[in-house]
Amino acid sequence: MNLKRAKSLFMASAVLLMILTPLLGNPCAMQKVRLGYLQSDLHQLAAFVALEKGFFQQEGVQITIGGIFKAGPEEMTAFASRELDVGYVGEAPATVAVANKVADVKIVAQVNLEGSAIVVRKESGIRSLQDLAGKTAAVPGYAQVQDFLLRKALLQNTIPSRSVNVIIIKPPEMIPTLQTKQIDAFVAWEPYPAKAITKGIGEVLMYSGEIWPRHPCCVVVVDTQFLGKHPDVVRGLLRAHVKATHFIKGNFEEASKIGTKYTGMDLETVKLAMKSIVYEYVPDEEGLLEYVTFLNKLGTIKVEDPGEFVKRIIDVTHLHRVLKE
Amino acid sequence: MKWFSGLLLLISVFLWQLLSWLGILPPYRIPSPLGILKGLSTLLVDGLPPGYLLHRHALESLLRVFYGFGIASALAIPLGIVMGWSKIIRAILTPFVEIVRPVPPLAWIPLAILWFGIGIKSAAFIIFLGAFFPILLNTISGVLMLDVRLIEATKVLGARETDILLKVLAPGALPSLWTGLRIGLGIGWMTVVAAEFTGVKSGYGLGYLIMIARDIQRPDQIVGGMIVIGFIGYFLDSILRRIESRLLEWM
Repeated sequence: MNLKRAKSLFMASAVLLMILTPLLGNPCAMQKVRLGYLQSDLHQLAAFVALEKGFFQQEGVQITIGGIFKAGPEEMTAFASRELDVGYVGEAPATVAVANKVADVKIVAQVNLEGSAIVVRKESGIRSLQDLAGKTAAVPGYAQVQDFLLRKALLQNTIPSRSVNVIIIKPPEMIPTLQTKQIDAFVAWEPYPAKAITKGIGEVLMYSGEIWPRHPCCVVVVDTQFLGKHPDVVRGLLRAHVKATHFIKGNFEEASKIGTKYTGMDLETVKLAMKSIVYEYVPDEEGLLEYVTFLNKLGTIKVEDPGEFVKRIIDVTHLHRVLKE
Repeated sequence: MKWFSGLLLLISVFLWQLLSWLGILPPYRIPSPLGILKGLSTLLVDGLPPGYLLHRHALESLLRVFYGFGIASALAIPLGIVMGWSKIIRAILTPFVEIVRPVPPLAWIPLAILWFGIGIKSAAFIIFLGAFFPILLNTISGVLMLDVRLIEATKVLGARETDILLKVLAPGALPSLWTGLRIGLGIGWMTVVAAEFTGVKSGYGLGYLIMIARDIQRPDQIVGGMIVIGFIGYFLDSILRRIESRLLEWM
């Protein structure tokens, strides 16, 4: 009986230890960084390249994948629950999450500019934005970058945004719904527009660069507490990110192959998609300001002083230090 | 006992509010009851997206559920009675039922979009899948539970097969069948939210509403939508329960 009791006591303490160990942490071990990114989002190719080529390790940063997400808002929820330290994510969900005080993060680098497109069904007869009136168009999320781009494009051509029925569909479902004539157009990030083309289902009505040249899109965000505690780790991350961005520009072929591996899309689609994405690591304050103003007007966020907010959320001191090295 | 559960609810909501005030439950984890109330009022007055009001969201979800649930009942009840009645038909069909049944309705979403698009039909199809099997299985078991001697007796008295089916089996299976309807409606209501997560053409639906609230990071509106879903589900079930007690009085 005694033996049995000792055994169960041992088991219980072993289980307890297993539960407690991750909580206690191990101060001796190298700081492990929990990284999040979006599934099949070619904008974030720099993350895939840095992972694949071991750039993070070369900079002494130990990465574990904290989560792969379908959309930015989910990733920001993970930041809110302290599951992530660093993330590649759209500027829109990052801004909204910080403004609505759901998560506390800083934008430390840009990931890409442009790289979205308005896609219409082949043979839909839609030749211009004017033709979109009375039609149904899908965007990935309300008040997201693509929603903004569509509204901006309509506004530029003095088309009332109410005349287009804008609905929300998550990007993986966009191509099938376009194919079955449920929608007439969609606005999405690459590689979904490219995939619609290579599948012979859709054609691009307008690239986002034509609507708003060099508009900001994805960014690298870091948990504010993490940034305060481990600025050196963040600088290591940034070095890897800059290196990966240069790699994409210099090694189109190899980068596109890495893109196929992480997005699961074919090489033709990835290459086509990469051509409409501008890979860039320096954040653009003016671009973010325009976006914050738009969200304020929409009522999605309530920011008293957009200029001050932009200065507070963007922190480029570490990026500048890295670039000077 | 009713006043007690009401009191308990009140106390727990008050405690929740207290914990929020004290900062033990921070708003980014879960909004306070007052915050949720505020979120609910914005949904009612301004709508989300602005102009899309809460009651329309609820009505369109209900419509989808009645559509899918109606078809599920219309098919599952007759099929259940037949499967319960005939051993051969039961033996033939059971494998099919048992293979399709474990597939979660949500796994059908990609196919549903391809077949029915993103309108009411695809949502109704998902709800149909959720409601169909509980109704079917409960109908079968209701028929099986009937006293065989009762049926034998009607046979001896010269009843025809159709009479037995309609006048003995159907009413006899009613208590179990009704439980099936209640479970089916409950599951149907649960699946509507998820079915709307993929997007809806009309721009209305409670699931769609919650998805948008998440997109713009508003936990108060998310929980507000959840509460509406909970209350409507409770209300639907209480209607069925009320009909049940009337209907089964004769037993």
